[in-house]
Amino acid sequence: MKIIAIITALFIFISLYLIFGYARIEGTMLEVQKIFYYHVSAALTVFVAFGVNCVFSIKYLIQRKPNDDLLAVAAAELGIVFCTIALLSGPIWARYAWNTWWNWEARLTSTLVLWLMYIGYFILRSALEGDRRRLYSAVLGIIAYLDVPIVYYAVDIWQGGLHPDRGTKWSLETTMQHTWMVALIALILLFTFLLMVRYRMKKAQARYEAIQQQHLTEASS
Amino acid sequence: MKIAILVSFLAVLITFFSVVQVPVTLTSDEVAKAVSEATSASGVSVDEEVLERAVQLSVAKLEEGQRTRLKYLASAYLVIWLVFILYVLYLERQQQELDKRLAQLEQASEGP
Repeated sequence: MKIIAIITALFIFISLYLIFGYARIEGTMLEVQKIFYYHVSAALTVFVAFGVNCVFSIKYLIQRKPNDDLLAVAAAELGIVFCTIALLSGPIWARYAWNTWWNWEARLTSTLVLWLMYIGYFILRSALEGDRRRLYSAVLGIIAYLDVPIVYYAVDIWQGGLHPDRGTKWSLETTMQHTWMVALIALILLFTFLLMVRYRMKKAQARYEAIQQQHLTEASS
Repeated sequence: MKIAILVSFLAVLITFFSVVQVPVTLTSDEVAKAVSEATSASGVSVDEEVLERAVQLSVAKLEEGQRTRLKYLASAYLVIWLVFILYVLYLERQQQELDKRLAQLEQASEGP
């Protein structure tokens, strides 16, 4: 755990140095283009987070192990955090590039829908208890994940939007490409570290609730 | 945990302000000197006063543009860090709550 924390911190510092000190300043957007490195990386980390949620939701439905549900919910929570980052840093870019804070184009709208679906996931969880909570939220987690490919392919499906083509990030100038790769690794490492922390906390919380339930049962009998 | 958050936030701010290229405001004397040197070096006869005014206006416009762009850049990274910090603070609060509950449970199980 400590090793992951140190490696994550190291990658974050290196990525920040590369963003502000190494990557070439892009010709059109100039300094504002540097928002791209964390904005796009956060958006891709969202796909990883909700992917983990989907995989462990499926695993829970098959094996019915409560720990899979705990991991799925921890990943969904982090997915919302990274999605919030993408949704908040995007409009700052948009204001400079497109002279508007928000536009109802395909990718922006589908990303907002994705964020809202996972907010709904937590609302559902808070409304239910026990096995029903785990079961229904696993089903919703799988359904909500169907929006991820829609977000990813939105620029191809609904052409003429404001976002560039999917391939743009792979055809960057070398210094920009290196910087973006390091930023992406940094955010994925941060996600992994926070996922481990959150999972441990959720497990401890579940154990506490089980002990408390046991005490209550013993006291009533 | 709070110290780690504070250190990370300060590190981000320091990295940002030390590495980013902050606009350098040129004084009118510096512009006049540069224009005079350039015209004498080129050997072309031009109205230095008009040229100096044009250069000053261009420099002011470029600096204003850069200042605006850096504001956008700084805002984006501050927002990103703010979200992370708020989430870590939320985790810390959850952990404290859990520790408190566990202590209460321990006390209850040790009681009469």
